[in-house]
Amino acid sequence: MTAAGLIARKEAGELLFDLRGQAWLLAMVTALSAFGLLLIGSAELSLLDNAQVVYHMTGIVTALGALLALVVGVDGIGGERERGSLVPLLLTPASRGGILLGKVGGVAAAWAVMLLLAAPYLWAVGSTGQNLRDGLAVVLLLGTPVVLGFGLLGLGLGARLDSARAALLAGLIALLVAASPLLIGPSLRQSALGRIFDAANPFSAAVNAYDAVIIDSQGLLAQALPLGHTLLWLALMLWFARAAFRRVAW
Amino acid sequence: MILAINDLKLSIAGTPVLRDVRLSLDAGEVYGLLGPNGAGKSTTIAAALGLLPADGGTVAVFGHDPRREPDAVRARIGVLPERNGFYDWMDGPAYLGFFAALYGREIAAPALEAMLVRVGLAPRPGQRIGTYSRGMRQRLGIARALVAEPKLLVLDEPTNGLDPRGRRDVHDLLAGLARDGTAVLLCTHLLDDVERLCDRVGILVGGRSVAEGSIADLAAGTGRHDRFAMRLHRPLAPETLLPAGLSIVARDDPWITVDLAPRTDPAEMWRTLLFAGWPILEIHRDAGGLEALYLALTEGAAS
Repeated sequence: MTAAGLIARKEAGELLFDLRGQAWLLAMVTALSAFGLLLIGSAELSLLDNAQVVYHMTGIVTALGALLALVVGVDGIGGERERGSLVPLLLTPASRGGILLGKVGGVAAAWAVMLLLAAPYLWAVGSTGQNLRDGLAVVLLLGTPVVLGFGLLGLGLGARLDSARAALLAGLIALLVAASPLLIGPSLRQSALGRIFDAANPFSAAVNAYDAVIIDSQGLLAQALPLGHTLLWLALMLWFARAAFRRVAW
Repeated sequence: MILAINDLKLSIAGTPVLRDVRLSLDAGEVYGLLGPNGAGKSTTIAAALGLLPADGGTVAVFGHDPRREPDAVRARIGVLPERNGFYDWMDGPAYLGFFAALYGREIAAPALEAMLVRVGLAPRPGQRIGTYSRGMRQRLGIARALVAEPKLLVLDEPTNGLDPRGRRDVHDLLAGLARDGTAVLLCTHLLDDVERLCDRVGILVGGRSVAEGSIADLAAGTGRHDRFAMRLHRPLAPETLLPAGLSIVARDDPWITVDLAPRTDPAEMWRTLLFAGWPILEIHRDAGGLEALYLALTEGAAS
């Protein structure tokens, strides 16, 4: 197995077998349960049609996935450096690129676990309609680059900042700002500032594509522009993480 | 030459940390890197491992620049850094197996367990590293440094957290590795470790090499005598003649403290004494003497 594969497997093991990783997964399941219950149990929300419910659930899955990826990313470099376990890794024959690729593999594993955890919830809220398949497809296609991008942001911040706590805080602020389209109403997003923000925000691109595919029943092929937007975000974050990781020394 | 550092200069965030560091280490040699806190020992190690770029001077490991050709050197180096973190959720053999695989070595479980036993570590089957004591973690770090059978071993405070038996085990292990041709760079504050293990030492003060050589050479350079404690199985006869270069400075039966004159070879002297019939049971360098030598060298350089 390559160094990247070994490190990715180790990262996945850390998420599944370390108490810290298990605590995060438990937190994700709790948040999904709470949101799922809200969608089904709330008198007002239960009146939403099936497409609206699936749309909301896919948005929250993407936001939680980005949060998990950010945490795994920050911990993968910043956390390991603080615990003293990064230097032995840097001193192995594995290249910097291989180590970073392995860490990205760990982020991807976290996203895969998140999707597995979310699948029953998506099924529970969406199985009565025709929108579940579209919801899953659009999350996989557009949610994945957004989530991996936040993982790379976490890796880059963990490498760039001296403190893992500072890196996590900076990443959380960025995620909160990016995920705000889930919180603010459509009218605010139609303002001039809202339009500029939407155009620059990869999270908006993904959520708008969710809206178009799940609610407006547009085809996936029509989402080339938002897909390009999210891929550009992923490429930018990859560049940032690589540049930051090259500077990590001792 | 396994490791050669010449006129190394290095700054961190614009602040000069190393100004003029020299170090040379050959196969089978144990080299002690000494110096006060903040002298630049860890930075020197980081530069030698290619983790920090130098502003000037040269670093060669196995004849290669570790910054430009890391692939040529890393597979042959084992390192125990001062801050030594682990993956607490793994058990010892799985942890060693992970690092062995990163070095391109597939090692079977029994061999991994044998590696742990070699450093005196015998965890319960499946015992997570998170439950290891400090000493056990230190031993695991040493096992990790040895997993690739390195030709250069860089150890930062390897006996930290070990009990006396553990320290002795590590001394024996390192002495055995050196006999087999491994070069060992030892960074420590424990002068007893240096006295027992090191063929040569280098002393850093304020980012500069202020002394390098065997302990006897350094003692000679400062005009100091090399001091040893000697245990005898019977007191010396009053008429015993002292060979040239040796003087007795204290008697406390069965121990005597002797000074060797500068430039006297200790091994040659002990041979002479044994041939002369001295009832010697054991000899070791007087730690107080080494401490005084270290203080003289570091204070002299600082002033």
